[in-house]
Amino acid sequence: MDFGFSEENERFRAEIRAFIAENVSPEIVQEMKEGARGAGIGPLTKELILKIGERGWIGMSWPKEYGGRDADIIDQYIFEEELARARVPLNLGNFIEQAPAIMKAGTEAQKKYFLPRLVRGEVTFALGYSEPSGGTDLASLKTRAVEDDDGYLINGQKVFTTRAESSSHIYLMARTDPDAPKHKGISIFLVPMDTPGITVRPLWTLPGGRTNEVFLEDVRVPNDAMLGEKNGGWNIGASALNLGRAGARRYCIYVSPFEDLLKYLQTDDLGRDIAKDPVTQDKIAELYCEAQVARLFTMRSLSMVRRGQNPPYEISSEKIWGPEFQVRTTEAASQILGAYHQLWDGEGAPDNGNFPRQYVNAMVSTFGHGSTQVMRTAIARRGLDLPRE
Amino acid sequence: MDVLLNEDEEMIRDGVRRFFASECDIARVRGIEDDGAWTDPELWRQLAELGWLGLALPAAYGGGEAPFTQLTLLFEEAGRALAPVPLHPHMVAALTLAEAVEQGDCGALAESLISDACLGERLLTWAWDERLPNIGPEVVTLNAVADGNGWRLQGCKQMVEAFEIADYCLVAARTDSTQTGGDGITLLLVEPGAAGISSTTQRTLGGDHQSQVQFDNVYVDGDALVGRVGGGWDLARPMLERAMVLNCAMIVGATRRAAERAFDYAKERIAFGHPIGSFQAIQHTCADMITWVDGAELLTREAAWHIAQGMDAALAAAAAKSFTNERCQMVLREANQIHGGYAQVYEYDQQLWYRRAAAWSMRLGTSAQHRRTVARALEMP
Repeated sequence: MDFGFSEENERFRAEIRAFIAENVSPEIVQEMKEGARGAGIGPLTKELILKIGERGWIGMSWPKEYGGRDADIIDQYIFEEELARARVPLNLGNFIEQAPAIMKAGTEAQKKYFLPRLVRGEVTFALGYSEPSGGTDLASLKTRAVEDDDGYLINGQKVFTTRAESSSHIYLMARTDPDAPKHKGISIFLVPMDTPGITVRPLWTLPGGRTNEVFLEDVRVPNDAMLGEKNGGWNIGASALNLGRAGARRYCIYVSPFEDLLKYLQTDDLGRDIAKDPVTQDKIAELYCEAQVARLFTMRSLSMVRRGQNPPYEISSEKIWGPEFQVRTTEAASQILGAYHQLWDGEGAPDNGNFPRQYVNAMVSTFGHGSTQVMRTAIARRGLDLPRE
Repeated sequence: MDVLLNEDEEMIRDGVRRFFASECDIARVRGIEDDGAWTDPELWRQLAELGWLGLALPAAYGGGEAPFTQLTLLFEEAGRALAPVPLHPHMVAALTLAEAVEQGDCGALAESLISDACLGERLLTWAWDERLPNIGPEVVTLNAVADGNGWRLQGCKQMVEAFEIADYCLVAARTDSTQTGGDGITLLLVEPGAAGISSTTQRTLGGDHQSQVQFDNVYVDGDALVGRVGGGWDLARPMLERAMVLNCAMIVGATRRAAERAFDYAKERIAFGHPIGSFQAIQHTCADMITWVDGAELLTREAAWHIAQGMDAALAAAAAKSFTNERCQMVLREANQIHGGYAQVYEYDQQLWYRRAAAWSMRLGTSAQHRRTVARALEMP
């Protein structure tokens, strides 16, 4: 067991921090904040992401032939962690979920096309999984892809398709064999968002951002839009989904409300007065311990992935503990800050209204990317081998 | 960074687990408790013979000088097996003697005790607790008044493990009664049979024994000193941290076994025509149990790693102890709930893990105290 980072790791962290200090200006931070609240990715942010790409930090643990540099996965973790702490809205999900799936299941032509473009930020994927009739029971999806002359004709509807409005592609799960058992008739398609027949409608969310509905009407795609084998999409998707639930980006989302609360209580005049209450201090200490467990679960997943394992249940534990900790933190914060916690903006709102936003954001974590109930069932069955019936 | 066990650590864990599986089955554990015995001398002899008692003690005194992380794995397994031997107090005392010797603050007595501790020839224990259920320096009031070359002790110690069978007890006393914090504490080696000592046995929820020890004008001479006069807190602080982490390891080991027994039971027990483990209410409970005990294990191992690295472990140990105390009790409670009525039955084995792990979680300071340590480290006003 080794809970520390090597000197090389720490040097790399210092390099990333120096880059952030130099390049993430207050103007960019403001633009990113507005972006997170629905304005989309602005020009300063785009320029920043390009600079990051130029340094070879995106996809750095990938093989050289696909645009990476064979770097240690821990350095990639450090890069993601530092970026997330600086609140840079890099859509790292693509690099964690879609890129490994393309590396594993893609044709040579798909790898050569998509991977370098992902690294340069020219290709970004929205995740086309959930549908109005089912998200948690993903394998029941109804969107159909029917083989015709030179490809497939796709019809159906997706929902909670975050970033569909700004992504270049959709990573789409569709049913290609309606007669097969539900897990065995699904395929994955990589579809450009500007393909005729795709319509995006915004769904505005409580934290002040947006997700989308995506309507697919007679969307025609060529055969080479399919990733992996026909009807083999479930296994590609499920393993990517598992790995996508782990990592620095999610860990930082889970613990950022606690870090913000702690900083407020340590440094703000009002915060320091509030923090004198021993009951408050006891609660903060309890939350601190729980935050360490969230961190350690992420370290454990990272350790397992680095050893080449796809963790059978540990990532599901991380995906329960993290979001539920996030919720516990924001609920505790709401009772520690009391009436101040409800202030969304205006004079006297602590941390410029950050806290109520964290409060509603936390809720999203517990069902985004698989609900905590589904995670518990997965732990019981895959991790503990409990019977189905 | 790799928080999983490396090859050496897996070997230690597997080796100790195999040993306990073959030499310390649950009937044996139950037998020691039913006999009212303080220890299992045969098991102790075997542990010494195999070198486990000296695992993390200095090589110069016959130990294996293994890192503290490996010792923590030994304690996880001892907890898992409910090994009815005083491994915890023996090791806490021996490691503190070793640290004092390393710092050049110890006499010949301590050195000979470390060698004998490795061989299992002399049993050590320690006495810290007094009136309040905390383990900070403020609880130490046992008075030590200088008398010639030595001291005279007056006061009372509580919850002393293995006292009646120990050869020496490392006692925390106050040589400067004008102080109430860390300053003025001195560690002294005392023989349990010394004139002026009287003790009464206390049986615990865990089925083991502790002692309330009265010191009435007990004389100890200069050889008994461990560390510096009045500077005992410098040794005691890391001693308490090691004690907390090893205690957490035992709780985690026993709790994991209790949880595994509940998972097995859920696979076999039929209700309403199905194994109860197929019901989501049970499945989701089991998912939480494994998540909580894994969390406690990771915190404990991280704190152990801090100690092994020679880093400040105060925050990590306090976090591990407060989390482990509370979450492992929750796991034990849920394991009982899955067993239903059998959980309360004496002849059914589940209660053995439940009672011990619960009792261990009540030792070495309260969760509230450890959270105060955490809050201080976070610079709360």
